Amino acid sequence: MSSSGESAPRVDLLPGTLDLIVLRTLTTMGPQHAYGIAARIEQIAERPSRLNQGTLYPALVRLEQRGWIKGTWRMTESNREARYYAITKAGTRALAEQIDRWQRSARLVNRLLTSEAE
Amino acid sequence: MGHLTRFFRRLLNVIRSGRDEASLDRELASHLLLLEDEYRHRGLTADEARRSARLALGGVEQAKELHRDAGSFVWFDDMRRDLRRAGRLLRRSPVFTLTATLSLAIGIGATTTISTVVNALLFQPPAGVVESRRLVDIGSSRMRSGFGPSSYPNYFDARQRSTTLDGVYAYSRFPRAMSLGGVGSDVGSESVFASLVTVNYFTVLGVVPAAGRLLSTADGEQPWASPIAVLSHRFWARRFNKDPTIVGRTVTLNGHPFIVVGVASEGFHGTGVRALDLWVPMNMAAAVTSPGTTALTDRAAGWLLIGGRLKPGISVSQAAAEMDVIGRTLEGEYPEQNRGVGFRAMALSPVPGNGGPIVAFVTLLTAIVSCVLIVACANVAGMLLARAAARRQEMALRLAIGAGRARLVRQLLTETVLLFVLGGTAGLLVARVMTSLLVSRLPTLPFPVDLSLSLDARVIAFAAAVSLVAALASGLAPALHASKANVLPGLRNDAGLVGRLRLRHVFVISQVALSIVLIVGSGLFMRALQRAASIDPGFDSHDVELASVDLAQAGYTTTTGPRFARALIDRVRALPGVQSATIANTLPGGFEVRRESLGVPGVRPPDGGFFIVDWNVVAPGYFATLRTPLAAGRDFTIADRDGTQLVAIVSESAAHHFWPGQDAVGKYLLQPTWGPHGPTDPTRPLLVIGVARDVQFSSLVDGLARTAVYVPLDQQYVSSLTIVARTTSGQRITDELRALLASMSPNVPIMTAQTLQDSIALGLTPQRVVASVSGGLGIVGLILAGIGIYGVTAYAVTRRTREIGIRIALGARRADIIRMVMREGLSLTLIGSAVGLMLAAAVSRVVAAFLFGISPIDPVTFTATTALFAAIGLAACYVPVRRATHIDPTEALRYE
Repeated sequence: MSSSGESAPRVDLLPGTLDLIVLRTLTTMGPQHAYGIAARIEQIAERPSRLNQGTLYPALVRLEQRGWIKGTWRMTESNREARYYAITKAGTRALAEQIDRWQRSARLVNRLLTSEAE
Repeated sequence: MGHLTRFFRRLLNVIRSGRDEASLDRELASHLLLLEDEYRHRGLTADEARRSARLALGGVEQAKELHRDAGSFVWFDDMRRDLRRAGRLLRRSPVFTLTATLSLAIGIGATTTISTVVNALLFQPPAGVVESRRLVDIGSSRMRSGFGPSSYPNYFDARQRSTTLDGVYAYSRFPRAMSLGGVGSDVGSESVFASLVTVNYFTVLGVVPAAGRLLSTADGEQPWASPIAVLSHRFWARRFNKDPTIVGRTVTLNGHPFIVVGVASEGFHGTGVRALDLWVPMNMAAAVTSPGTTALTDRAAGWLLIGGRLKPGISVSQAAAEMDVIGRTLEGEYPEQNRGVGFRAMALSPVPGNGGPIVAFVTLLTAIVSCVLIVACANVAGMLLARAAARRQEMALRLAIGAGRARLVRQLLTETVLLFVLGGTAGLLVARVMTSLLVSRLPTLPFPVDLSLSLDARVIAFAAAVSLVAALASGLAPALHASKANVLPGLRNDAGLVGRLRLRHVFVISQVALSIVLIVGSGLFMRALQRAASIDPGFDSHDVELASVDLAQAGYTTTTGPRFARALIDRVRALPGVQSATIANTLPGGFEVRRESLGVPGVRPPDGGFFIVDWNVVAPGYFATLRTPLAAGRDFTIADRDGTQLVAIVSESAAHHFWPGQDAVGKYLLQPTWGPHGPTDPTRPLLVIGVARDVQFSSLVDGLARTAVYVPLDQQYVSSLTIVARTTSGQRITDELRALLASMSPNVPIMTAQTLQDSIALGLTPQRVVASVSGGLGIVGLILAGIGIYGVTAYAVTRRTREIGIRIALGARRADIIRMVMREGLSLTLIGSAVGLMLAAAVSRVVAAFLFGISPIDPVTFTATTALFAAIGLAACYVPVRRATHIDPTEALRYE
């Protein structure tokens, strides 16, 4: 079994944020295949960099098992088959919760960091 | 999404992981293509694009691995691996697998068979009954114990006063054999089994009709209110081929017309185990039973079992408490008839009251099969332990390369569980065979029985649970033991350092001990059977034909009955091949004994009441036909009839008991008159005119001759009679008897026809079953124990090969080596035997009642068993000893 160190993404992501990112991407962009999601993440990164796209899959499998996203086979614009993931109702609800939690913890960390700096 | 849903989804993933992985492959392939497209777009060559795409996806295998991690349980995958490995291992050692599976199959099979019987007898809810869990049985207790029948007036009062029960019904405790006539064109009559039930019986039980209607309270309760009958589905199918037009037809029961109003639903046969042909409302008791009209008015005459349905929210104990109060109140209101009589309520059971010999018998069988199961488990555990010891090296290696200890224990347990799944499955097959064998071996009972001995879900669940518990119990210790392997010594094939396997000794000792218990038990019962066959029963059971009839069925009364019986005896005597013939109420050797209370002038029994004696009503010629000699006095004659001096013949035991050292002939017995209020003061003196040799009355109870009193049929008429005919050459004359009866009266069907020997054999059924079950299983246990001793000794020899080699090299004598090897095997046998004999001695006391006066510590049985086990111990040591003495010192020293 491989350890998490070996598969660390080349885009630095805080642990546990990948789920949030995927869900958010799917809400803003509508149904996407894994490649599309990866491209989107790479695109919005501050410094353009490559994501190890394979690391998306555990998140996708996990999210689908939770019933937050649902995958269906469709054809892309370039006429290739690909599995498109769409966010479900449960996923939308979960995203709202996750965003809330993320913002709360981000605020906390921010406050902590700024107060330490003073 | 709940945890549970997620769990099942994962489970599904594991099961269909093949398909899922294929789908992931497809997705990854499409992903790669999309990436390649992009790279080509940026101007890379096809080759470069492909390589870059792979790089960007970060290794496909890694992604798959990650997917699997997220998509399944690690432990489940491990388990599949363990299972595969276990299967491979078991296949690799077929002898071990076969022996283990076989012993488990026998153990689990035997347990399952008996649990099938227990299930059918005690736990299976009655078919066709609604919510049987809310039903209770109510019986009458005497002096706060027992679970007997109640009288109709007591039932009626209980029903009126109960507030905890929704409906209270009653039914005759024993199905009555009745003659059914007037069916179609058939002229003759046939014997059917019917139960008298209260009109609310079907309603309270929630039974639905398969045709027509059932009884209802609208049918009324006044005597003679409703001459109607309900057929059982079984009887309807068997006798009338499910003809729906039978509903509405008139048939005769014991000569009285009854209208068939309907058929009960399929499978319904009351709440007990006896099969029934039809049900008749209790208000018709006078028409179809011998006590006639008093059946519904006599408060002292108990013949009904009561049942009721609990009101919602009421527990069995609440109802029982209420019934107890009602019983006490009734005792206070009717002190004469109800003295010492109370009510007891218990949860519904096919054997109301859950008491009596059936439960004792079933418990005994359960104990026997549990012994076998333990022996089988101990055997397998022993074998697993030996294997575990042999696999120490493997375990040590796996530990060394980093396997977790828990993981090793789990793998070993998986092997055991797989073994027990095999054993359990084989055990179910064994149970199927054994159950059908059991059914085919059952003697024909004098009444039909509806027992569904099927392997239903409950029994299969039980077998599975037994297998699993057995697997864990016998697999855990060896597994823990094996995983304790130390890496270094384990890897150095140093046999000297391996533990002494005390645990395995314990297994072998317990195997020997329990096998001894089984063999001793079997031996005791076989000795009892032998004794039953060899002791003089006091009568000659050969070449005697029996046929039982009930004259009340044809409407014979106390005046016409004796006349008919006399004529019948004369006609039977005239049949070709009949040497002598008579008629009696009961016959010795069977299940049932009739008991009566008697007084003896000048002698008081210890409790000051009456003496209880075995009672039989017989016609003249009874003693001659059975070849029971009269020790003194004379036989009954036709002159001993109604209106003359009441007479009796007593057994030698009775004579000795009542008048020790005196001549019994000429003495008097006092027979209590049975009024409507139970026994009253003795008023009828019986003159003793003869003393008969003792006979074994009932084999079931204790096989001992007891005080018996015989009275003549002409003076003390009963309608339930058995024709007894001694034939010259032992030929069966059932057909002749049937034809003879049909020619004399159309309404007297033969209820049971059998030979006296068959009837006695029936009485010995419990002993026979226990002897064969415990003997058969005991032999299996013996073989298993033998294998166990052999295994331990053989293993010890292998372990000490070097040591023995050195000893031989240093000049040890053959005898020394033999002694050394034997010591281990024989000491196990010895300790096991000692423990087993003590256990057996304790256990056999419990079953002493079945043993015909054979001492529970019968020296013959115990000595023989000990000798047998000593022989087995020696035999099991033979091969290892041979191997030890043939060890070549030079070979042995080169062993490492």
